[in-house]
Amino acid sequence: MADSAMSDRETTHFGYREVDKDAKAGMVGDVFDSVATRYDLMNDLMSAGIHRLWKRFTIELSGVRSGNSVLDIAGGTGDLAEKFSQLVGDGGRVVLADINASMLRVGRDRLLDTGVQANLEFVQADAQYLPFPDDSFDCITIAFGLRNVTDKDLALRAMLRVLKPGGRLLVLEFSKPTNPLLGKAYDAYSFSILPLMGRLIARDADSYKYLAESIRMHPDQETLRGMMEEAGFSRCEYHNMTGGVVAVHRGIKA
Amino acid sequence: MALDPALHSAVLAALERAANTALDLSPHSRRELAALDEVVIGIECTAPAFSVYVQPTRTGAIRLLGYHEGPLATRVRGSSSDFAELANAADPTATLINGGLELKGSSAPLIALQGVVAGLDVDWEAPLVDTLGDVAGHQLAEILRGLFRWGRYAGSSLTRQLDEFIHEEARLTPPRAEVEDFYSDIQKLTQQADRLQSRLQRARARADRLLAAQPTTAANGPASRNSEPG
Repeated sequence: MADSAMSDRETTHFGYREVDKDAKAGMVGDVFDSVATRYDLMNDLMSAGIHRLWKRFTIELSGVRSGNSVLDIAGGTGDLAEKFSQLVGDGGRVVLADINASMLRVGRDRLLDTGVQANLEFVQADAQYLPFPDDSFDCITIAFGLRNVTDKDLALRAMLRVLKPGGRLLVLEFSKPTNPLLGKAYDAYSFSILPLMGRLIARDADSYKYLAESIRMHPDQETLRGMMEEAGFSRCEYHNMTGGVVAVHRGIKA
Repeated sequence: MALDPALHSAVLAALERAANTALDLSPHSRRELAALDEVVIGIECTAPAFSVYVQPTRTGAIRLLGYHEGPLATRVRGSSSDFAELANAADPTATLINGGLELKGSSAPLIALQGVVAGLDVDWEAPLVDTLGDVAGHQLAEILRGLFRWGRYAGSSLTRQLDEFIHEEARLTPPRAEVEDFYSDIQKLTQQADRLQSRLQRARARADRLLAAQPTTAANGPASRNSEPG
């Protein structure tokens, strides 16, 4: 009877584990609560600083200019929002949104400390249920956040809704290496070195084990492009970076 | 093979950082650049092959982009030596007209950018004072300024003397005026040859038309003779 009740419930993956769909957001929240204060340092160490180049290219692809309104979902510590804030100027608007209060607090404090605030708003929001009116933003970015979202299709449709017609969605996310040899080296790095670094620096090996597992469970380049098209985005395309370790997908709201 | 965007971004990020560090030390250049805010200049270098978009910002910094889809104020194409010639040109307009660069769009933003690059006057005193203190930093900056001034003077003097030696003393190459006269004569000769060629073509076309008309007359000739009474 209990087994039947479990099987009736909708499940999703949390890393390699199958968990109750309602429980995933809380579990992901725990991971980010644990790593929030050392998130930037860990990103720099894990990627040898290359995550800055991936984000730089994403900003180039966004085509954001003066006066635009930008939503940075899962914006975490606010490195993308900081750049967008400079680009849109006083006539523009940047909203840094994150479901996790700890990450948002770190991002808000960091940006306020660096003097970036005039055109910046901070919103604690779930990517699946964005609390903004229809047709609100010229550009939406979600960098290394989509794989943690419970229902990605629901989130993509929510992003489409709040984008203005002609607006762009950019999804920067870990993906599948195009070279099998690079794939093997990447696997070895992810499952051996990453958790070790997590244990030594963030004192949390499990969160970094989850990171490696969640990357493997995330849709590959073509699948994600298909999901974006399915959600209603037009002219969907992607650019592989660092041999496909990371890909940036772009779709336009027609 | 296309360059990985991350690698391309790394190169551009390094160049952008170097350019903005130099601009930080040249407030006058920053003010001039700020006037070009939102203008995007596309630069396509053919040898070595790479392209970059240059966008000054409202704060007078420079953005170097590998990817840009919006409108361009200017697109310029040429080899690295053509760009180097433009960067050092005393008269950028003449270089754009006579040099090897291909230009699309307005030349004004490019000339303004060239003016900023050519007039970049880096003041090393601020970072030296920050690092070494007021007295030592100022003294070292004075020495460096003197060295740069002497280097610039010595460089221009050497160039002038070398130029004079090559043209006037050794006669290794003809003087500029002589070369310009020679090019002007060649241009005149080319135009005359072109005119002659078009005249010849017209004459040939006329001759062809006359020849085409000739057989009709020839065919009619004997017939008219035969029709005459004997």
